[in-house]
Amino acid sequence: MNLELNDAELVLQIGSGDHVAEAELFRRMAPRVRLYGLRHLRDESAAEDLTQMVLITTLEALRARRLREPEKLAGFVLGTCRMTVLDLRRGIQRKERILERFGADLVKPAPISIPNLDQDQLARCVQNLRERERTVIVMTFYDEQTGADVASFLRVSESNLRVIRHRAIHELRKCMEGAA
Amino acid sequence: MNCANPIDAAVLADYWLALPGSEEDAVELHLLDCDRCGQRLREVIALAEGVRSLAREGSLRMVVSDVFLQRAAETGLRVREYFVPAGGSVECTVTAEDDILIGRVAADLSGAKRVDMCIISENGVEQFRLPDIPVHSEATSIAFQESITFMKSAPSLKMVMRLITFDDKGSEHTLGEYTFNHTRSLPGSGAW
Repeated sequence: MNLELNDAELVLQIGSGDHVAEAELFRRMAPRVRLYGLRHLRDESAAEDLTQMVLITTLEALRARRLREPEKLAGFVLGTCRMTVLDLRRGIQRKERILERFGADLVKPAPISIPNLDQDQLARCVQNLRERERTVIVMTFYDEQTGADVASFLRVSESNLRVIRHRAIHELRKCMEGAA
Repeated sequence: MNCANPIDAAVLADYWLALPGSEEDAVELHLLDCDRCGQRLREVIALAEGVRSLAREGSLRMVVSDVFLQRAAETGLRVREYFVPAGGSVECTVTAEDDILIGRVAADLSGAKRVDMCIISENGVEQFRLPDIPVHSEATSIAFQESITFMKSAPSLKMVMRLITFDDKGSEHTLGEYTFNHTRSLPGSGAW
């Protein structure tokens, strides 16, 4: 299998019945769709379900050559992700139906690997931030407060808050990379 | 796994946190086409989870909001809080069951443009300073989280906190001093 195939070439190969290309689609797209799922569903198991459903739906479409602009695979997958998340939220039980039809053919994608951080170093890096930066980072990441809430606590505008947050994230990354 | 137009890590953080203005559509389309930025997003997620974990451990020294404390309590963390009036003192301790330790100090913050918080040793030496802490001019107190890890290993000691403000010429003025008389109640004599 030529792994250098771009998305458009991959789409065309799948349309011509190439099973190796189908496996490559799973290998390539599964981690990306799973990240989308984690972001929107905040649950690894749900993200996994979403990944299976989206890839099967995509595969069906590609086998049937329904994607008219092969170079727009990412856009097609994104649209499928959105529709599937809506379905999941509406409680539509498509999962069992889809898995029943395609379960045997599924390639099990590798789980998402979130890097392990040195927590002691991270603690030092967080402690070394300016007080306001630390407050913003903790309130945002721990409290999951909205920008408006944090801005109100700090008495700064939301745009100013964004600047503080972005600076803090860059400082943290620099500090962690420097230690690595 | 190269990317000609990598998404800034801070923008990825905004996206992960679903913050307003996070350019969601463009970021998602890019992420479905780019493994390099997907890896950067994973690093941001690790950072977010790491900070969340540190906050849960109560090991950061920082000024916290009431919402933070409310959230901590809601998630089952045990918050031990001591209130001290300006110029006052409090007898305090920490137990093995405590997760978060808060010193809440009273202060008249009206008109204060910048406030620094200092920790002073028993012999009057400034040990560390948190410059320009976040305060509300209409607030009547400040909640400071002391590291629970630090205090659980501490021997009995006296710790003085000082709030400092600045006039237009940049001269320092003490807003208040607060004494915490910590008695070790955990087994052992405690040492750092």
